[in-house]
Amino acid sequence: MNIWEIIIISLIKIVIALVAMLLTVAYLVYFERKISAWVQNRVGPNRVGPLGLLQPFADVFKLLLKEDIVPTASNKVLHTLAPFIAVFVGFATYAVIPIGPPIELFGYKINLFMADVNIGILYVLALTSLGVYGITFAGWSSGSKYSLLGGIRSSAQMISYEVSMGFSIAGVLLLSQSLSPVQIVAAQYGWMWNAIVQPIGFITFVVSAFAETNRLPFDLPEAEPELVGGYHTEYSSFKFAGFFLAEYANMIIASAMIVTLYLGGWQVPYIDKLGLGVTATTLIQIASFFVKSAAILFFFIWVRWSLPRFRYDQLMSLGWKVMFPLALINIVWVAALIMIFHL
Amino acid sequence: MPTLTVDGKQIEFKQGQTVIEAARNAGIDIPHFCWHPSLSISGNCRVCLVEIEKMPKLAIACSTYASDGMVVQTHSQKADEARNAVMEFILINHPLDCPICDEAGECKLQEYAYANGKGESRFEEIKNRKDKRVQLGPYIKFDGERCISCSRCIRFSDEIAKQNQLTFVQRGDHVTITTFPGESFDNPYTLNTTDICPVGALTNQDFRFKSRVWEMSKTDSVCIGCARGCNTEIWVRNNQILRLTPRHNEEVNNYWMCDKGRLDTFKNVNADDRVDGAYIRKEGQLQKTEWDDAIKIAAKKIKEFKNGEIAFLGSAYGTCEDNYAMVKFAKTLGVTSIDFSKHVVEGDQDDILIREDKTPNSLGAELVGVKPSSGGMRLEGILRAIKDGKIKALYVMEDDPASFSEEFEQAISKLDLLIVHAANQNKTTALAEVVFGASAYAEKNGTFVNFQGRVQRIRPAVSTSEMDRAVDGMNMSRWDKFGTKFDRWMQGHKYDAKPSWKIFTSLSAQLGHKLKYEMAENVFAEISNSVDAFKGLDYDDVGEHGAQLEIKQTATV
Amino acid sequence: MSVKKREKDLSILGKLYIPEIAKGMALTLKNMFRPNVTLQYPEVKFEPPASYRGRPVLVQEKNGVERCVACGLCSRVCPALAIEVQAGETSAEKERYPEKFEINMLRCIFCGFCEEVCPEEAIVMSKDYELVFQKRSDAIYGKDKLLVPVDNLRDRLEFLRRFK
Repeated sequence: MNIWEIIIISLIKIVIALVAMLLTVAYLVYFERKISAWVQNRVGPNRVGPLGLLQPFADVFKLLLKEDIVPTASNKVLHTLAPFIAVFVGFATYAVIPIGPPIELFGYKINLFMADVNIGILYVLALTSLGVYGITFAGWSSGSKYSLLGGIRSSAQMISYEVSMGFSIAGVLLLSQSLSPVQIVAAQYGWMWNAIVQPIGFITFVVSAFAETNRLPFDLPEAEPELVGGYHTEYSSFKFAGFFLAEYANMIIASAMIVTLYLGGWQVPYIDKLGLGVTATTLIQIASFFVKSAAILFFFIWVRWSLPRFRYDQLMSLGWKVMFPLALINIVWVAALIMIFHL
Repeated sequence: MPTLTVDGKQIEFKQGQTVIEAARNAGIDIPHFCWHPSLSISGNCRVCLVEIEKMPKLAIACSTYASDGMVVQTHSQKADEARNAVMEFILINHPLDCPICDEAGECKLQEYAYANGKGESRFEEIKNRKDKRVQLGPYIKFDGERCISCSRCIRFSDEIAKQNQLTFVQRGDHVTITTFPGESFDNPYTLNTTDICPVGALTNQDFRFKSRVWEMSKTDSVCIGCARGCNTEIWVRNNQILRLTPRHNEEVNNYWMCDKGRLDTFKNVNADDRVDGAYIRKEGQLQKTEWDDAIKIAAKKIKEFKNGEIAFLGSAYGTCEDNYAMVKFAKTLGVTSIDFSKHVVEGDQDDILIREDKTPNSLGAELVGVKPSSGGMRLEGILRAIKDGKIKALYVMEDDPASFSEEFEQAISKLDLLIVHAANQNKTTALAEVVFGASAYAEKNGTFVNFQGRVQRIRPAVSTSEMDRAVDGMNMSRWDKFGTKFDRWMQGHKYDAKPSWKIFTSLSAQLGHKLKYEMAENVFAEISNSVDAFKGLDYDDVGEHGAQLEIKQTATV
Repeated sequence: MSVKKREKDLSILGKLYIPEIAKGMALTLKNMFRPNVTLQYPEVKFEPPASYRGRPVLVQEKNGVERCVACGLCSRVCPALAIEVQAGETSAEKERYPEKFEINMLRCIFCGFCEEVCPEEAIVMSKDYELVFQKRSDAIYGKDKLLVPVDNLRDRLEFLRRFK
């Protein structure tokens, strides 16, 4: 493959991923509303299009047609920049996540991820850390006390939970001996899913992921009863849509990460032993990735509509006094496994 | 002084007082329908039954004379039972039409039914039917079914109005009230019977169904119908006067007022012909002008005349404050021809209330100095001087000289400058060069001096556009208190008028003189300093019932 | 006296909240499969019971005349000052009628005091809950909008007689 072919293939992959991502976000919002309705014995959106399937588009149009309000007291540059940072981080992270085994198409061997970064996991961690900026900028630049409080809470929360998140991942890295997502998926062959091998790490990671995505029960940055809308109080129209998009993109990233790191990625246990054709196997594997991701996303939504919000001090003490020690115990556990079973 | 005990309270009384009077003076109210402090004792309603020690039976408090050492129980079990029984009897034939009865809310029967009634009726038979909506005289509707036959109205027309016009006819529960054959209930005081009627049997046709009593605010005021200055209450809803009622003042009008005063003295306040703002004549037409501009133009026009060419007419309709401010303004200009007109209708006077002088304040106007100073002319002189062309400018405050006589009207039309303060449009405003909308008597603070030399307060009951009920401390109804400008009942028109003293104050500021009054009370303070008769008085001294002036001489400013 | 259970008294499991979280999640999951209660509003309309307090209306007798005698009690009792009544005189036997009867529906709080105080059963709370205005002035309902034939209000009148 020459350089042009690589560029074109990458571009195609990016476009496909982007469109897929946007559509997923749109319908994720739709399902969020549907599931919340079901939990509350309601129907949910059912007016726009059959079964309300066009609702996300109506929402988008509505958001875009709204007046873009910029507060007089705001820092205009940062106020505009913030939602873009949020969206960028949400989307760029997806570049390193493999959704299936490499496939052969039109004579090209194509990897089902955009970039094989050998330190992919670090890349993800780095980018999610950047995500804090979007929210902090939004909070600070709005010139509103609610936004500012939301922004401050958000940064404190994300930094706190990044620690336990990082330590949870350490356990995974110990087993896979690689920072590459591809290698990590490969290391979970068969039933050697990290969720099974190191359940404590799995739990701490999932909890941290909730905190990182600002989802209930950790949605303190936008706690409506206290902070109006939190960091995005002063945003409307397109910029608000940006944050909205970023929140759901982050959810997708988080679920993809959970699947990749703990649920064997695209792998289906022992599918190669079934003796299916290569194409069938690949398709099943890709499908398995999506099914696993979807299950995690459902879990995200389900939790949101079941659990109440933490108090801020509870959030902090949970992060530092429970999650962080548990993540450390997990590392010891994994190390012990390696010593004993020479994994 | 002899004492008696009422409900365990020792009270003093004068020999000859009845128990109900003695108790009333001590602030104990014994229920009563037929008794009225100014009428003779009838004793027919029986609701004032009280228990008196050493008397074998209950006695009616209204016709039992108090005696020393008497012990009276107004709420003993026996008295209460008897009162409830009386109430039950009275209510047997009383229709249950409080919802359509104008008296509701100020009805004695209603009040006592709440206090002493059972709340339900044992009477299962059919109630008596009597005539309803009977026209009794020119102003009153009579409802026979509601009448409880207390005879207050009959006694009133006999004793107070001194005209034997009403009587009971029939017997027992068929008794009803009518006029004597050939008589009509048309004395000048008939409407007082609607006030003293303890139920809604007699209602004021002018006020009929206009408003419920609790929807209005009421403000103490003084009637402007004649020099008697009957004390009144002005009832206002939605910034509109709906009725006047007399207010008790032993020295002036007792409990009464005449029908004319009651019906004819308030309608001009909300009339369509109010002068709403300040007007300047431009190209032959009176045109509405901003107050500031109108004041400037008027001041400029006044300056064009020599002081000998100007005359001022005060008004016996105006308050002492307005007249005083006018006199002071005229004198700072050096004007000497100042006078006002009395409006006397000869022969239209009686021994009860009505006076010949149909203005409320002619004595007050005189006292504060509305009269020519040295070399100045009286009204007739002014008229002649206008005709001769010696007086070219006339300043008229709250009066209508053009309708005094044809001669006057023609003379006025010859003037070079005519400035008028008027609440309502009239013949004079039609001829005027400048017209200032003056507050009507129900829109301002001030004082009148009645024919007895009694100075009495008027207070604003209706708001003008520069006033605010809450800020200016005016009385407010529930709607005034809690309504907003979006509610229709808050949208009653506020006229753009100012009290005359205020207009003179602004004018004098334009002309470089100093009349510095912030409110009517300031003017009155100056009057009390400079006019002997008013010496030492302020609004608090005048109070609700007025203050008698010691009139020796009239003032000079 | 029962001793209040405090956080520090909870067992390890209790402190972790995990069983409780699981319970809660199970409940919401169960709810997802329950039948829903939504009415498809513009097509399917909620038919309120007789005890429902919709917008207040004036009862119109069969002969087309209002029951109201403009006594003004509703106006007096209205805590939101929504009602304005102006009485007038008719030649009919019931001599008083409302010349003007206006309810400002922006002010009305549907408390039903007017209905409770009415001595004539002339103002009642209807089942009408569909109130839309585009101007403040539209929200002031006069007699034209308030009068409803008595037959349409049978439910409520029956309810009032039984329970008021």
